[in-house]
Amino acid sequence: MKAVILAAGEGKRLRPFTETLPKVMLPVANKPVLEYVIDAVKKSGVTEVIIVVGYKKEVIMEHLKNYKNIKITYVTQDKQLGTAHALLQARNHIKGPFIVLSGDNIIDQKSILNLIKDKSEYSMLIKENPQPSKYGVVFIEKGKLKEIVEKPKEEVGKFISTGIYKLPKSIFAKIKELSSEGVYGISSVIQSIIDKGETINTIIADLWADIVYPWDLIHLNEAMIHKAPSSVSGVIEKGVIIKGGVSVGKDTVIHSGCYIVGPVVVGQGCEIGPNSCIFPSTTIGDNSVVHPFSQVRNSVVMNDAHIGSSSFIKNSIIGRGSIIENNFSSVDGNSTVEIEGEFKKLEKIGAMIGEDCNIGSNVVIEPGKIIGRKCKIAPLKRIIDNIPSNSKVM
Amino acid sequence: MKCVILAAGEGKRMHPLTFTRPKVMLPIGNKPLLEWNLLNAIDAGIKEFIFVVGYKSEMVRNYFGDGEKWNVKIEYVNQGEPLGTAHAISVVEKFVKDFIVICGDTIFGKEDFKNIVKTKDCMGLVKVENASEYGIVELDEENVVKIYEKIDEPFTNIINGGIYHFSSKIFSYIRKTKKSLRGEFEITDSINMMVKYTKLRGIFLKNWRDVVYPWHLLDANEEILKKINKKIDGTFEKNTAIKGKIIVGKNSKILSGSYIEGPVVIGENCKIGPNCYIRPYTSIGNNCHIGNACEVKNSIILNNSNVPHQNYVGDSVIGENCNLGAGTKVANLRLDKGNIKVVLNGKKLDTKRRKLGMILGDNVQTGINSMMNVGAIIGNNVFIGPGSIANGEIESESKIL
Amino acid sequence: MCGIIGYVGFRDANKVLIDSLKRLEYRGYDSAGVSVIDKKQQLFKDVGEIDVFRKNLPNFKGDIGIGHTRWATHGGVTKDNAHPHLSSNKKIAVVHNGIIENYSKLRDNLKNKGYNFLSQTDSEVIAHLIEDNYKGNLEKAVFQALKKVNGYYALVVTCTDEPEKIVGARKDSPLVIGVGDNENFLASDITAFLKYTNRVIYLNDGETCVISKKDIILLDENNKPIEREENIINWELKDAEKSGFPHFMLKEIYDQSETVHHVIRGRISEIDRTIEFNENVEILLKNGIDSIDIVACGTSYYSGLVGKYLIEKLTGIPVNVELSSEYRYFGTRNESSLVIGVTQSGETLDTLAALREAKSSGCKILVITNVIGSTATRISDAYILTQSGPEIGVAATKTFTSQNLVLFLLALKIAKLKNKIGADELYKYILDLKELPRKVRQVLDQSSEIRDIAFQLKNSKSVFFIGRGINYPISLEGALKLKEISYVHAEGFAAGELKHGPFALLTKITPVIAIVTNDSTYDKMIANIGEVKARGPQVIAVAEENDTEIEKHADFVLRFPSNSNILSCIPIAILLQLLSYHVASLKGCSIDKPRNLAKSVTVE
Repeated sequence: MKAVILAAGEGKRLRPFTETLPKVMLPVANKPVLEYVIDAVKKSGVTEVIIVVGYKKEVIMEHLKNYKNIKITYVTQDKQLGTAHALLQARNHIKGPFIVLSGDNIIDQKSILNLIKDKSEYSMLIKENPQPSKYGVVFIEKGKLKEIVEKPKEEVGKFISTGIYKLPKSIFAKIKELSSEGVYGISSVIQSIIDKGETINTIIADLWADIVYPWDLIHLNEAMIHKAPSSVSGVIEKGVIIKGGVSVGKDTVIHSGCYIVGPVVVGQGCEIGPNSCIFPSTTIGDNSVVHPFSQVRNSVVMNDAHIGSSSFIKNSIIGRGSIIENNFSSVDGNSTVEIEGEFKKLEKIGAMIGEDCNIGSNVVIEPGKIIGRKCKIAPLKRIIDNIPSNSKVM
Repeated sequence: MKCVILAAGEGKRMHPLTFTRPKVMLPIGNKPLLEWNLLNAIDAGIKEFIFVVGYKSEMVRNYFGDGEKWNVKIEYVNQGEPLGTAHAISVVEKFVKDFIVICGDTIFGKEDFKNIVKTKDCMGLVKVENASEYGIVELDEENVVKIYEKIDEPFTNIINGGIYHFSSKIFSYIRKTKKSLRGEFEITDSINMMVKYTKLRGIFLKNWRDVVYPWHLLDANEEILKKINKKIDGTFEKNTAIKGKIIVGKNSKILSGSYIEGPVVIGENCKIGPNCYIRPYTSIGNNCHIGNACEVKNSIILNNSNVPHQNYVGDSVIGENCNLGAGTKVANLRLDKGNIKVVLNGKKLDTKRRKLGMILGDNVQTGINSMMNVGAIIGNNVFIGPGSIANGEIESESKIL
Repeated sequence: MCGIIGYVGFRDANKVLIDSLKRLEYRGYDSAGVSVIDKKQQLFKDVGEIDVFRKNLPNFKGDIGIGHTRWATHGGVTKDNAHPHLSSNKKIAVVHNGIIENYSKLRDNLKNKGYNFLSQTDSEVIAHLIEDNYKGNLEKAVFQALKKVNGYYALVVTCTDEPEKIVGARKDSPLVIGVGDNENFLASDITAFLKYTNRVIYLNDGETCVISKKDIILLDENNKPIEREENIINWELKDAEKSGFPHFMLKEIYDQSETVHHVIRGRISEIDRTIEFNENVEILLKNGIDSIDIVACGTSYYSGLVGKYLIEKLTGIPVNVELSSEYRYFGTRNESSLVIGVTQSGETLDTLAALREAKSSGCKILVITNVIGSTATRISDAYILTQSGPEIGVAATKTFTSQNLVLFLLALKIAKLKNKIGADELYKYILDLKELPRKVRQVLDQSSEIRDIAFQLKNSKSVFFIGRGINYPISLEGALKLKEISYVHAEGFAAGELKHGPFALLTKITPVIAIVTNDSTYDKMIANIGEVKARGPQVIAVAEENDTEIEKHADFVLRFPSNSNILSCIPIAILLQLLSYHVASLKGCSIDKPRNLAKSVTVE
């Protein structure tokens, strides 16, 4: 059985982190989300995946070039015209029943296996969830799907759609037919199939998580970091205390006096310390440097980042390549964040700093503030608002 | 009657010991797993062998050569790519007619070889307690009906022993075998096809031991050492105490004050002592040195390694060319006496053992007074600095300073 | 420069040969052929790509055969000129890598004796020559035949009268024996048979060998048997895949956002502010260095020029950069010089010869290469690996930038050892190095803007690249890339030299690409651009992000990230690689296998 993985989306609600990365490449415990999806699918016996790419596709192809033991075929969705349209791009590679899933949701292998083994012609994975997902709320009758409601007005229904389906080859003809009527989402296609009398079997998924907003990265990191391999590599100097499940990558140097409490993942080629503290559940990407006397707690630090000495980083995200000078403080607390016109209330959130920023010494960032890509912040500034990409705060 | 032995596998679950050697070359009682199978097969009357090699094939070839040392004929065939058991067997098609094939890393006894050789078209079966970890076999009286993959709730405790007696018919079924869910060509799939047309008898094995993880080597080592006979080729100084059965290889010297409680196997060119204490179920390779004030128990030490001054090594496996600095000690028991958990290939595992010391790869150097915590798994070329503590899994080329 | 393979064993020879030829594809690919023995020589050869060849290859039976992929040196690309070549009596099959210098005379002699030639190649002569000397023993016939041959060769021969043996001969062209179990291999390249065995025996020049299913016999240049030990190769057979990129070259251009890291990993510490290489290199560098000679070919030569600039600027040590093919034959040797050989493959014949020359003159040799275990690493006193992963596209991309970075690290290290830079200055450079991946990503993000500019160039007959200082070798490399893969004629010039001649070539239809960096050369470059424009051509400037002034002078501007300082050569080089790639892609050229070119040139 083949799997089609949709990975063409930009993920606008995840800006600034998706300005140079497609959503599926955002790292959770130092591994892109897409890789979790491919792992789950591979372990369920799928030997070929067709990945529908679009936005920033080279990043995906570059990363997966060394991925072994599964055949990967890429098809490009040139224009973002909805999930059904994305699926349609894979048509020529599918000869029989297949599964389709999104590359940006974490799913566990057992659920995929259950989906594959299911004997119905159409089946899907659903999940109990207090909050509605972007795939819609589902109404079930006797285990079969009755209705998918994309954006329900009331918070009814216990289950949501995961967007993961097992479909027959005939779906492509149906999608083509419906797209001429202006139907572009897979959910809508499925709804119309139910209306025509087909049955869609539903299976409850074990582990499923979606990343919608930037802070989801922190929560997902915390949830998935336990599964990260915990072996130590590189050079661990004397006087380093490592407790719990800590993974240290190749060529990384942990200088003397560091105190690392797992679960923590430190990537390859990093330099940490001396005398820095890394607390759970923190992930530090490859080639990053944490200068002496800094503290990083429950945060996601992406690749190529620099954290200056005596900095305090908690519940935060530091984007790829950002350089933060000494004595930086992310203030951790409650905040209301505005994303794409919606207001979200957050508890215990720190700073979210985009890629390639240059942040001067002694900068303080108030809780929940989002700093865009390539921003420059002069020393001693206190940031109380979101900063759009490519801005300077002088 | 040729015996084909599959010896091409890496044995990823045996890391770090299999980074530089194939799984079949891991030693117990100072002989590689493969040699125990060879000896037992020879005892059962087999004289011609074909080793299917692949991963680090030179290690197998360099050790076994053409079989002259055992008065048998050994040929080699390179599998080429690790595509599964059926593929491994397919490469010998031109060389065999009616043959036995075994997985080289599972240990089979002499009796069982005899029984399998005697019976045309059969396979070995074993009754185990933990059948959920193996592929189980459904029988119809004596004949095999189907071999299943691992199932969570197995309906029988009879598993596939990994030893088969095939005729050349098997090759046409191997050709028809498709890739499994794992992406490999499995002989069990070929067998499932074949049994629809040909009877395959199930023969229960009397002696069967499987080794999956490094600590299983300690159990296998213990079992094999219980059966050794005393053989002394080395020299003893005065005032050494030997209890029980021991084997000492050529040119090895047991120096004054050494206290050895057998069963213990010591290789060639070793220097044991002075004043060391070696306790039962310990196998020491060639060119090793166990020095003053050292205690070693229930451990396997590979060639060219040294436990030279004031060390304690218990329930451990030490690779080749390792050197423990003076005072390096191994912890092998939790203070709360609970099961020892390890991290292997990044994953946490419960070894279900109360006692486990360390598993060392090759070329590990430890500084003076370093401490190896329970269940530490240490890769190749690792440097554990003076006074440092080694915990958990430490990957190859690392330094703990 | 071709790929050759011979197999004798228990497997289906046809399958083994085609598998190996596919792996050898990068060595030569205008035509291919195999000949498998089953009572007679079953021959199949054709022009074109291996994948098509594979489809058309008949299902030959047999367990002994030879194969070849060709990169034409003598004679055009035709089916008849492809190897293997058969002798007149069709019993002997030969595959050959190299050049027979006196082939013409030999052919005339043989023609007079009545031998019939089907091709215009020098290689076919060998087949008939062996038949002429054949008296029942193939290796003796080969030995006798080769006595009459001038030139160099790697040769693999079979004969239907002795269908259990394959004879190989080597003189100045690589040939390796793969030692198997119940099978043996002969190939120009270890990768051809690495899947089946990792045991090799190297043949030395002047030697021949006879391999059969179970035996290997080595014979020296007097045809006397010799013993030699096997080597175990520890390489992993990683199939380099394009991974969704339309071409290997594009994938390798994108690889650079990572490879710039791999070069520095394990070698610099930001916290400790140090640079360290492996022990042999450190020892070599600690002995005082008075002068440096860099020898290389092609793109590596341009890396050498970049290295000269970097080393002289940071250390003050005089650096001389020479084309390997020139260094071998001409020039003086200074035995107190450190000679640095730059070769991606480690097998480039001219560079190896130059290094051997230098060594015999008493110089110390340092090699910068991408391939561990290559000949260059084995003859050097110390080597530094660029650690970029395999480069399959024929045009060098990531290895160029990696070589530049290694030379930069060397310059920094030597400068520190000589106290020419202090710890703070070193730290600044280390931070610049750490920022490189960001800068590379920025350039890669501009791919579509670069493609827009590529439209301007695709119909040009000639394009000029100009730069000053470190940007001069970058111009040379930019021009080379454009030439190599898009077949548009291009030339690089030092901007200051235009007025001494090349101006005459400038017309309205010869675009000029000017590299303009914000340093002491800036004003002069602006002036050069003015001079160029006055003569007609469009000017495409490659300038820093923040440079607003340039827009007043150039017609188009391509941007590289600011604050790259001395390392701006890296993003600029990548920008120019992308430019060439897009021009070639717009023109529909065969980017990974440009016509007439082959990777790792092992002929002279």
